[in-house]
Amino acid sequence: MAIDTGLLTNIGFYVSIAIVFSVLALGFNLQWGYTGLFNAGIAGFFLVGAYVTAIAITPLSQPLIIGGVTVVPGHLGGYSLPFVVGALLAMVASGLTAALIAIPALRLRADYLAIATIAFAEILRIFAINLESTTGGTIGLPLIPPLIQYVPADPFLSAVTFVAIGGAILLALLLVLQFMVESPWGRVLRAIRDDEEATMALGKNAYRYKLQAFALGGAIMGLAGALFAVALLYIEPSGSFAPAVTFSVWVMVIVGGAGNNRGAILGAFLIYGMEWGSVQLKDLAPAQLRDTIFYIRIMIIGVLLILLILFRPEGVLRERKRALR
Amino acid sequence: MAGTSTSESAEETRAWQSRWAALRLGPRVRRQLLRAIVVAAIFLAFCALLGALFGVGILSYTLAGLRVGSIVIVAAIGLSLIYGIRGFANFAYGDLMTLGAYVALLVNLFGGINLVAGFVVAFVTLGAFGIVLELLIFRRLEGRGPVAPLVASVGVGLIIQNGIRATASTQQWNYDVTAIGEIPIVPGLGFHWIRDFATLAIGLSFMVSLHVLLKYTNLGKAMRATADNLELAKATGIDTKRVRYAAWAVSCSFASTAGILLGLIAVVKPTMGFEVLLLIFAAVIVGGIGSPYGAMLGGLVVGLSQEMSVPLLLWLGRPEVIGLEHATAYKVAVPFFIMIGVLLLRPWGIAGRQPAFAPRTFFVERLARVLRGKRTSAERAEGDGRGG
Repeated sequence: MAIDTGLLTNIGFYVSIAIVFSVLALGFNLQWGYTGLFNAGIAGFFLVGAYVTAIAITPLSQPLIIGGVTVVPGHLGGYSLPFVVGALLAMVASGLTAALIAIPALRLRADYLAIATIAFAEILRIFAINLESTTGGTIGLPLIPPLIQYVPADPFLSAVTFVAIGGAILLALLLVLQFMVESPWGRVLRAIRDDEEATMALGKNAYRYKLQAFALGGAIMGLAGALFAVALLYIEPSGSFAPAVTFSVWVMVIVGGAGNNRGAILGAFLIYGMEWGSVQLKDLAPAQLRDTIFYIRIMIIGVLLILLILFRPEGVLRERKRALR
Repeated sequence: MAGTSTSESAEETRAWQSRWAALRLGPRVRRQLLRAIVVAAIFLAFCALLGALFGVGILSYTLAGLRVGSIVIVAAIGLSLIYGIRGFANFAYGDLMTLGAYVALLVNLFGGINLVAGFVVAFVTLGAFGIVLELLIFRRLEGRGPVAPLVASVGVGLIIQNGIRATASTQQWNYDVTAIGEIPIVPGLGFHWIRDFATLAIGLSFMVSLHVLLKYTNLGKAMRATADNLELAKATGIDTKRVRYAAWAVSCSFASTAGILLGLIAVVKPTMGFEVLLLIFAAVIVGGIGSPYGAMLGGLVVGLSQEMSVPLLLWLGRPEVIGLEHATAYKVAVPFFIMIGVLLLRPWGIAGRQPAFAPRTFFVERLARVLRGKRTSAERAEGDGRGG
């Protein structure tokens, strides 16, 4: 393959994953940026979406045993459903999961919600790692079919396809969310975030609105998981759904500006760009520094979190405050 | 108490009484002690029953639970102190534990000194580190709600964890301590001086020392007052700034000790603290947020439930029962389920005080009411949540 296509494929891959993170950031922005619900279990809803999609759309996979060693364990699946169905199932599953955790936890203070959700996400990850017959265990789910199967496998075309379809989904999601948060419904969400008691005094059932926003945000994270599954064509539980993913999404939304959907997408592209850039740098660096660069990258995310929360909590694109008309 | 001759002796008695005030038991303390003894007796009876039913070997899980529990207690006390006084969930706590373990490792392995010295050095270093954290970061986030400092603490945690990875590599380490064999009691049940005795003793001594600090020193009283009501504490003239620095120092020192103990019973590695962080949060929530006494109880519940669920999970893992794969791996999830149960039924924790402004109906009652198809006026007028 020519070198420039290789670079373009690489960039296409960056845009693909950045799109996935943008969807995650939009989901978190709806929960935190607009409604003030601090979700620390983003990775869990992401995991549910990815696994549901992968199980729904993957053709039947037999356990692959080489010399008595199970290389690819069999797992639940073999339904070969189209991606659209898989993504819808993922959204429903994640949304229901979010509602399930939210029903008790939303009544509590923000930090209780954070602890309850992160614990829930870890439980899900423990199950994903250990429930081999369903999830493939630590090996995960390989052989997920791509959005469009090119007969001589062409990574460049696959990346372009994903960017086109994923980008369209992201744009549609952005438009829908923008419409929703500017509707009276979105106004109630912001009112709850700014002053819950006052909103309830106006006769709004704050709990119901919070539940709706949280479940919807969870469903959006499920959609991100679905996109992630078909972007990578392979999911495994230990790295992709670790709490670090949650922290990355926080940084993205805080960098971009909480309460601003375009800001969330900008933040996702910036922060994932930094991660991607550090991976590119890793190949250029001397061998003994490669791992160090990886760790320094995460340290930079930590420093960014602290500096932003200290000095610019409103992010790059601040929320537009509309005057009352 | 009339007359000059008796007043002197009365004075003396009073002085004697005040000197031994720490040992005098009020009716409330006596009641709680009684309750604790009853619970302990029930627990012992339960253990005896288990031992009688399944053989004494099963008690090794109880021992493991006490071991994990006492480490979680030390950590949970420190975490809940910051939670109570600074009002946020410190997500860097697990990594502070790791940092403490590595400081001790540095002293122990590369300084070639006894681990006890490592304990002391790590205790002091982490205490100072906690004060620096408050000075540099968390002081500036006061009055910004619970989420802003939480996010900052995640940042601190990421920096510590990956800083350790970058400098000390991801290698696993062991402390250089004299190897002591297990003392076998019965086959399958052994007693280990370091693992079983030292951790329990240190956990117990930290509990007692924190109790003394909180109950019988001015600093401790100021801490309790600050945790209870910051504005009122300020108005009474308590130097809340000093209290905060002290709380950070104590909390982080406790983190270092918990980290070292964790390194002693397992290995020292960069993710060791973060892996148990959620367990510690579970202990804090089960016991009641911001209450160090609740944290003690929560730590015990969490540690015991995690380890004692192992035989149950093993039983579930048998092919004729459910055939759960990798059954024992789920033991880490058990405390979380307990935590979620506590959040559902008693969000203020087992030992915590029910806040006066807590919503009167909780999920289960609400569900029961929905099933009965009734909505009381209290529920309709009810305020939501515990407030910001």
